[in-house]
Amino acid sequence: MERIYFNNCLTSKPAPEVIEAMLPYLTDKFQLPENFVISGGIINADLANFRKIIADSMSAEPSEIHFTTGGTSANNLAIKGFISENANQGTHLIVSVIDYPDLLTNAAFFEKSGFDVTYLDTDEEGYVNPEELREAIQDDTILFMTTMANHTVGTLQPLKEYRKILDEANHKIAMHVDACEAYGRYPLDVNDLGIDIMSISAHKIHGPKGVGAMYVRKGIKIGPTKHGINRLDEFETGGISTAAIAGFAKAVELIFSNFDQYFQHIKDLQKHLLDKIESTISHTLLNGPRGDKRVPHNMNISFDYIEGEAIIMMLDMVGISAATGSACASKGLKANYVMMALGRNHEQSHSSIKFTLSRYNTKDEIDYTVEKLAEIVRNLRRLSPLYKEEN
Amino acid sequence: MQYSQKVLDHFMKPHNVGKLENPDVEATEGSPACGDQVTIYMNVNEKTHKIEEITFQSYGCASNIATGSIITDLAKGKTLEEAKKISWKEAAEALDGLPPVKMHCSVLAVDTLQKAIKNYEISHGLAEKESFSKQTIINELKKILYPKVGESIVTLKMVKYVGFEDGVAIIDVDIPKFDEHRDNVADEIKEHLEKYPEIKDVKVTM
Repeated sequence: MERIYFNNCLTSKPAPEVIEAMLPYLTDKFQLPENFVISGGIINADLANFRKIIADSMSAEPSEIHFTTGGTSANNLAIKGFISENANQGTHLIVSVIDYPDLLTNAAFFEKSGFDVTYLDTDEEGYVNPEELREAIQDDTILFMTTMANHTVGTLQPLKEYRKILDEANHKIAMHVDACEAYGRYPLDVNDLGIDIMSISAHKIHGPKGVGAMYVRKGIKIGPTKHGINRLDEFETGGISTAAIAGFAKAVELIFSNFDQYFQHIKDLQKHLLDKIESTISHTLLNGPRGDKRVPHNMNISFDYIEGEAIIMMLDMVGISAATGSACASKGLKANYVMMALGRNHEQSHSSIKFTLSRYNTKDEIDYTVEKLAEIVRNLRRLSPLYKEEN
Repeated sequence: MQYSQKVLDHFMKPHNVGKLENPDVEATEGSPACGDQVTIYMNVNEKTHKIEEITFQSYGCASNIATGSIITDLAKGKTLEEAKKISWKEAAEALDGLPPVKMHCSVLAVDTLQKAIKNYEISHGLAEKESFSKQTIINELKKILYPKVGESIVTLKMVKYVGFEDGVAIIDVDIPKFDEHRDNVADEIKEHLEKYPEIKDVKVTM
């Protein structure tokens, strides 16, 4: 049996068609875009086509899409670029305590530089209440940052409601959305949701690593923060792999040509995984919301009395990849900050396992995984001083 | 750094697992909040003071389980005096090494064994309960490792000051501001010291 991969939030396997689409740009079409010469012109036309594919997937204009070297780069160019251009309008930023590290570390950077930052709280399902956003808005607020689908527990934030509240303020406030986790997995229309700036990434949706994109709504001012030569993009200066962009566009094309079918398939798998775990294994706790408030590919469950790194290592030994929120598996030996913000205790964070699904997963893989998981949980609980055998 | 094959073997098939029925002594160290806890159960021959039976239970990661397994292997059949000499470095070596960030698991396993031995000695009149002093604090700090290199913060000379007055322990540690292990070291110091009833408050400055 091939390895079963449930770590698609970390990164995903590039689709074979993606690799094929990249190859010409690593061989014959190695040039960079140039004017007035035939070879450069061909690359120019190809890039315009790729940009259009990405733009169409979110109902944006091609001119609003900027290729970047990844999701984190897109977040940095967007946040720093927006603030550098708009700081004369105000110095107050809003973010939430459970946002993606890119947003939180940027917020901390600006806070250290003298900006005022409000960190919105979350409820126990990872939902950031729009009314809290309303209360946090000040006369000098210029930017609200949010993560469309939470990277740990998959909670979908109410972007439309946020937009409405921002529009009701007495001045203009921009909304930056980290959509790296949601894009390609959940319907996303930048106009419908009222997004001003957004980051997306290729490698989470079966595209290549090292490429992403920043969406900037027409009329929103972004300043350059990465200075250098403009090869492909005025914000992401220097080179960006044209092969990676070609692969990204192919990955997007593949998803959006069959979006509804993939969406339903992953949603069905998610439900099957949760039903199967809850009916097979006792003393479990679902982290994040149930049903439609959750992005379909994410499942996060805590298993009482045992520790997550031991669980994922035992799963790994039987050919299954998953992730954990345990401090033992983190670089800084710290409990997962999202889990703690949700009000979970340390044990619940240490015992949390995150499965992130993709269109390549099957029902059989889930059946096999839960069967193995039940054995592992039983064995580790037998070993645990915290577990009292049930009669 | 990856785990050695020996760590994986002990993790997948740990030795001496479970709870002894009516053990002569048991000891628990660590806490679930910190992600690792070990309990050791022992039966000791009253005449020879040999550890005849020893088992463990573990709540923790792969290296926590593996070190519980190896430490019980190492202590089995040894006299209490011999078992006292087992160090965390020796336990880690017996597993063909541990990643630096996981070395604290070995310290926890050895610490639990030493506590079980001490409990046995006290309950059998072989030793007296140690009185609490500043040295007790220093001895506890020696058990705290800097995760980046897997060596004690005392050995690494990171502890700049130890004070104890009116039930308040004040520990000053030299650790860079942006060190990712800063919070972890502070939490470990608190966890190690707060278990002493003599200590009412722990202040860690960095």
